Amino acid sequence: MATAIARRTGKLQRSQRVFAACSLTPIMLYMMAFTLLPMIWAVIITFYRYSPTRQGANFLGLGGGNPFVGFANYLDLFADTPTGRLFRLAVKNTFVFALLVLPLNLCITLPLAVLIESVSERLKTVFRTIYFLPTVTSLVAVSLVWGVIYNPTFGLLNLVLRSLGLKGMAWLSDAQTKVLGVPLPMICLVVTYVWQDMGYNLVIFIAGLQSIPEVFKEAALVDGATSWQRFRYVTLPLLRSTLTFVIVMTMLSSWQVFVIFYVMTRGGPGNATRTLVLHIYETAFRHQEMGLAATMAMALFLIILVTTLIQLRLLRKEWEY
Amino acid sequence: MNGQVLTRRAFLRVFAVTMAGISAAALSSCAQGTPAPSTATAVPAEGGTPPPAAAEKVSLRFWSHSNPAFVQANEELIKRYAERRPEVEIKYEYFPYSEFIQTIQTSMAAKSEADVMEMFGSWVQSYAKGGTLAVTPDDIVTVPQAHELFYAAPLDGYMWEGKLYGLPNEYNLENGGVLTNRRMFEEAQLPYPPDWKAWEELVSDAKKLVKYDGEVMTVAGFHYITGDGLGFLFWEGILERGGDYFAADKIHLNLASPEAEETVQWLVDMATKDKVVDPFTFNLESNWVGDAFFQSLVAIGYIGPWIVPVARINHPDFADPWDYVSCPHYGEKMSFAADSGWGKVVSPNSKAQRQAWEFAQFSTMDETNARFWNVTTGTVPALKKVAEDPTLLQDMDWLGPSLKVLPYGRYVGYLHDRDFIWYNVIATRLVETMQGQHTVKECITIMNEEANAMIDSKIKG
Repeated sequence: MATAIARRTGKLQRSQRVFAACSLTPIMLYMMAFTLLPMIWAVIITFYRYSPTRQGANFLGLGGGNPFVGFANYLDLFADTPTGRLFRLAVKNTFVFALLVLPLNLCITLPLAVLIESVSERLKTVFRTIYFLPTVTSLVAVSLVWGVIYNPTFGLLNLVLRSLGLKGMAWLSDAQTKVLGVPLPMICLVVTYVWQDMGYNLVIFIAGLQSIPEVFKEAALVDGATSWQRFRYVTLPLLRSTLTFVIVMTMLSSWQVFVIFYVMTRGGPGNATRTLVLHIYETAFRHQEMGLAATMAMALFLIILVTTLIQLRLLRKEWEY
Repeated sequence: MNGQVLTRRAFLRVFAVTMAGISAAALSSCAQGTPAPSTATAVPAEGGTPPPAAAEKVSLRFWSHSNPAFVQANEELIKRYAERRPEVEIKYEYFPYSEFIQTIQTSMAAKSEADVMEMFGSWVQSYAKGGTLAVTPDDIVTVPQAHELFYAAPLDGYMWEGKLYGLPNEYNLENGGVLTNRRMFEEAQLPYPPDWKAWEELVSDAKKLVKYDGEVMTVAGFHYITGDGLGFLFWEGILERGGDYFAADKIHLNLASPEAEETVQWLVDMATKDKVVDPFTFNLESNWVGDAFFQSLVAIGYIGPWIVPVARINHPDFADPWDYVSCPHYGEKMSFAADSGWGKVVSPNSKAQRQAWEFAQFSTMDETNARFWNVTTGTVPALKKVAEDPTLLQDMDWLGPSLKVLPYGRYVGYLHDRDFIWYNVIATRLVETMQGQHTVKECITIMNEEANAMIDSKIKG
């Protein structure tokens, strides 16, 4: 009897395994073809001066017109040449962008989430929808609309300023005007990005707030804690997991920002808004230097990896509720 | 458990085989360092593999980008060719512009590109240098014959080391004409159409056309601060002042010559002293001339004639009367540099190169077909006979100013990375100088250093 059951179970497990294998194999092949192999290919071409416009020596297009250069592409990123300087400027700009976006985003979305969480269920849905709308709107459309808002001649922002008797600004083209050392166009793009992206974090924070058991807040209330004390000493510590997730995700998306910069400024004026992904794109598809672009992508990968590890380490917690 | 082990093994086997293949190919190319096949040997002298027997059906693939006017023109040419050569079947595929270059490049890497491709002339030298294009056979056209038939500016974009790598349809120029808004001229009581004999006259009119709302420039008298326009005006200024933007070795650039300095000074002065345009309001980021002119924000706009057919489609409701008129030049004789233009190239991997070249020849060298292509696409002809035909203006009424200057243009030359020079160096630094970040001397020094450093890095490989 026991042998029969074991055989039967084993048979069932085998068929389940076959089913699992059949289900997963196409996905695995898909992932290999469109994710793993391109990643491996990207690593390989970082060692070549590779451009698809040049004839290679073999079927992969490597060698010949696309010679093996060892670590030369990596060294180029640190060299005192226009290539190296532009890369480092792009890294700096992206870093500044991420550094501005993160606190601004958190300062807006977290209090907003707490406020929305405190209103009635019906109003909560309305607010959540309104704030989430920009997130589901096409980034290109958002960029174009904000481009019009910032237009120095007929843009909404300057019309408002002029109606108040103030002087209009060349929002996206005056890199000489700086706010805390950051060029004005970069500030404008930060504002646009935060406006578009904050709905996502808001929804995550609301979900995080809803997952905090009421009992903790009630206990604090019984102990006579004020609203601020309840937020500071109960809500905030219990939101740590959500906060970690939001910080990591916001940082990741900030480092990879592309569309807004591509549509609104293309890296200008000068190179004041040239970000790393934009620079990688231009190096690959405008200047046709795929090997160098892949090397920059590796650098971006490393930057993101290190940033994320540091954040995870700093925001690590030893407890669960 | 067995299943899992097997799956992992299978996965590892596939992975190992794939990696071994890639690594072997990578290492072999690394180790052998075989030079790329020279362009001379990439194509057999007679134009590739022998043509199939006359009765045999030959199939050609033809690629272009998906601009509707270009597609319409090419489809008609394919139809005409099918009537003449029923044994040749042309499969026409077109791609959105943003994907077109990537499609060409990835397919070239896999040697699976189309037999005939529509390519922009300024890209051709890079591909020809890389050995990814076929040389035009002499029995299609020799180089001296081609120079007789086509204007130098578009043709020379298809030349590399003395060999021809395609045939141009279009002469892509930005110089020689400007957009003018008649209403604004009339309101300023200026003669219309303008007949400027010198730049000073244009600038004088432009100063009267500028409008302000308080301190804000609401109408630019003369808007020339565009990514493309600045580069073309810069080259023209240097050439017309008797200089050359190429250094003596014809590889590096000389952007710090007295002629270059004088030209930069002139470009900067128009914005900062004459104030015909505000470089903070009208620039690479805001109020592009091709849009701003049709929003009544610009009285005179510097842009190529290609804008006219585009604007007629994109701005049908623009109420102000407007024209494309001749623009002055500096000195006695006009001299400018142009980007080559769209044309046809053939793959060295084509199994039917003979037929591919014959179709390219049919599309570009036959006067009727070439004219049809230019009229339908709204582009300036590269073929001299088409451009010199006075009846062309019946079909393309805006081309008068451009047709007059075609013989004075030369191909801009091999810049190694055209876009870098144009946008990252010239346009960027000139706008910064107009905005007061550099002096003219600093500007030309920076431009010269940056452009030549890029060229050196490209040469070094």
